[in-house]
Amino acid sequence: MKEFAVRNLRLCTKDCLCLYVCPTGASDTENSVIDTDKCIGCGACARACPSGAISLVPVRMPPQQRKSPEVIAAMNALAAQKEACRALAATLANGARGGERAFFGAVARSCSLTTEDIYREAGYMLPQSGNVHKLLLSIAAGKDEKAAALADRLLALLPVNDR
Amino acid sequence: MKYICPVCGYVYDEAVQGAKWSELPADWECPVCGAPKSVFVPEPEEQAKNDSVPMPEQTEEAAKAAEYAVDMPLSVGELAAVCANLARGCEKMYMGEECELFLQLSRHYLSLVPPAQGDVAALSKAVASAAQKQFALSKATAENAGDRGAQRAIVWGERVNFVLRSLIEKYEAEGYAALTADRIWVCSVCGFIYIGEVPPAVCPVCKVPSFKFEKGDAAK
Repeated sequence: MKEFAVRNLRLCTKDCLCLYVCPTGASDTENSVIDTDKCIGCGACARACPSGAISLVPVRMPPQQRKSPEVIAAMNALAAQKEACRALAATLANGARGGERAFFGAVARSCSLTTEDIYREAGYMLPQSGNVHKLLLSIAAGKDEKAAALADRLLALLPVNDR
Repeated sequence: MKYICPVCGYVYDEAVQGAKWSELPADWECPVCGAPKSVFVPEPEEQAKNDSVPMPEQTEEAAKAAEYAVDMPLSVGELAAVCANLARGCEKMYMGEECELFLQLSRHYLSLVPPAQGDVAALSKAVASAAQKQFALSKATAENAGDRGAQRAIVWGERVNFVLRSLIEKYEAEGYAALTADRIWVCSVCGFIYIGEVPPAVCPVCKVPSFKFEKGDAAK
């Protein structure tokens, strides 16, 4: 399985052993983010790093976990409820000032994060999944031109890893 | 007797702490996550622990509703959340361009969401209703399907919703005149809200370290 290396900047202690062992110079970048175009996924950097700051990620992700129709329905219903709470909190934040604005803004943000997490477990875990591909196709075919253009670009960039 | 915090799982054990639960002041808060005393639950008896979750009866209508909901078109607000989640996934996998496109899609959909109708009381009701109904229902469904990931998301969401509920109820009862943006923290992973000078060292709900907390922003 072809892989590429990623670096956890919070763990990196700049001992630079990854620079010494990298055959392509992919780890030698000014922002410390490994150049995925140069990385050949040999893993030498991950084995050499004394801080355990580098790990390897597959280029092609395995298919995401399958979800039963009942779970998808339950998660969709839950997400819809949380999204309604977010919309209400966001409206309240817009009409408030200072601490109250921050409070309702935080409530809206919190609801949004929960909703996102629920969708992750409702069949939208991997951007490369067939389910996301289906969603992007429907957006691309829709009347909303701005959304369709963005979906078209994503369809061109994202490989489908299941179905 | 032991009392358990439903948010972070902290256990107040009368035998260890010395003071009786009834002797603690009404404004006593969970030392770990700040949840009010009123939401603590007594440790369930062994009997209750072994009771399985009652599964709502699967009627023909419910099966139909489930089938329909799978292909239910998402609202613009829901699409914004789906795209924000996918942007995060792309970011983690070093897919910068895809991440940016999903973020643009998410922002676009968010801008199309019409202003919601309702006041603080309506928000309070909606959050309480989620706590009482939706989370319990979906939890039973996920447990029945043996879906560990869905159960995990539901447990986190339910705990975070619990915090929202107690904060909004407190706001309704006392107002938040002293509240400043600098004291509101949101865990960027699970959405747990913490009010205090500094965020907790570890998120009581999803266990990420404090640097994952975002500061409340009055401008947002």
